[in-house]
Amino acid sequence: MADILTQLQDAVDQLANQFVASIYYVHKHHDLQTLSKTDTVRQQQKNEGEDPGDRNVDPYPADVFKDGQKELAQDLILKEQQIEYLISILPGLENNEKDQEQTIQQLEEELKIAEEERKEAVKEKEAVLARLDTVLRSVKRP
Amino acid sequence: MEEQQQQNVLAAAFPTPPPFWQSFTPENLSSISSLRAAEPQSSSSKVEPDPATELPIRLLDLPAELRCLQPPEPPVEGLYRCFGDLYNMNDPLPSLEEQGIEQLYTPPLTPTSNNGGKHTDRALILKRIAKSLLLNFLELVGIMSVNPEQYQEKIQDLRTLFINFHHLLNEYRPHQARESLIQMMQTQLERSRAETQGIREMKMKVEGILEGLSHAKLAEEKENEESGNEVVEDRRDVWEALEREFG
Repeated sequence: MADILTQLQDAVDQLANQFVASIYYVHKHHDLQTLSKTDTVRQQQKNEGEDPGDRNVDPYPADVFKDGQKELAQDLILKEQQIEYLISILPGLENNEKDQEQTIQQLEEELKIAEEERKEAVKEKEAVLARLDTVLRSVKRP
Repeated sequence: MEEQQQQNVLAAAFPTPPPFWQSFTPENLSSISSLRAAEPQSSSSKVEPDPATELPIRLLDLPAELRCLQPPEPPVEGLYRCFGDLYNMNDPLPSLEEQGIEQLYTPPLTPTSNNGGKHTDRALILKRIAKSLLLNFLELVGIMSVNPEQYQEKIQDLRTLFINFHHLLNEYRPHQARESLIQMMQTQLERSRAETQGIREMKMKVEGILEGLSHAKLAEEKENEESGNEVVEDRRDVWEALEREFG
C-alpha cells in the first residue's frame, strides 16, 4: 500500500519549495521601471570577471515573464489540489483505534482458519495425486 | 576452529542466524507445546488477558534445550539502532507547545486515544491549513509588492502553518500503520482463500479423470470378454482424454 502520509508530507514540502521558487522567479526576472521622467534604466556593465548572476536582476521580456508567472501560479494551485486529494484519501478516516484492533483480531482468526483449510486441501490434493499416480502406473502404453 | 569461524563471519555477505535456531526441532516444538498445554492457567487468569499483547504462557524450569523456544519479554525501554542512527524506544512526538510553536487548531482527538473519535475532522483541519498556506503566500507576495521590508511577519505565519501541518500529519502515523496492517492481512486472507479454492478445483478435476478412467476400465473389461481387438482402441481413448486434461 502506498504510504499516503509520506506522499502528503512530500507534497507539502514541495509546496514550500514552490513558494520559494516563485518568489525567486519574480525577484530575479522582473522588469525594471523608471519612477520619474528624469530616471533612466541604468545599463549594467558586463564585466567578464564579475559573477553576473547573484545580485543583479535579469529582466525577461514582458510576455515571457508573464507566462512564467502564470505557470508558477498554476503549479501552485495544482499542488494544492494534489494535497487536498491526498488528504481526502487518507486511509481509515472513519475508524478509531478500537475498531482497528477488533478488525485486526478478527482478521487474525480468519487467517488461521483459512490456513487450516489450505493445509487440509493440500493434503487432500496429495492423496488424490497419489491415487492418480498408481492408476497411471497400472495403465500400459498401447 | 574458533578463529576459522570468526573469519567466516567477517567474510559472509549476510550475518549468520543466531545460534538458537538449532533448538527449533520438531521434537522440541511439540514437547514445549505439550508442556504449555499442561500448565494450569493460574497466573494469567487473574487479570483479564489483553489479546493484543498476550504471549504464550511463560514456563519456568524448562529443560535447557527448550529454553530458547520461549520468546523473551519485548523490551520496554532502551535504545535501538536503525540505519546507523540511535533511537529511543519511547520517543513521544513532542507537542507543538513544547517546541514553542503556536498551535493553530483545536487538537482533535488523538489517534492513540480510545474515546471513539473519528478522523474526519482531522482531515478537515489539514485541508484548512493547506488552504491557509496558499492564502498566506498570496498575502506575502502582495505585501512584498507594496513594501518588501515587511516580509518578516508573513514568513513567520507561513512557517507556523507548515509546522502545524507536519505535526498533525505525524500524529496520524500510528493510525496509518494499523490501517496498513489491516490491509495487508486482508490481502493475505484473500490470497490464502484463492489458493485453497484453486487446490480444490484441481482436486475435483483429477477425481473426475480418475472416475473417467475407471469407467473406461470397466468398459474395457467388458470388451475384453467380447473381443480382444477393441482393447487397444479403447486405451487410446484413455490416453487422449488424459492429454486433453493435462495438455
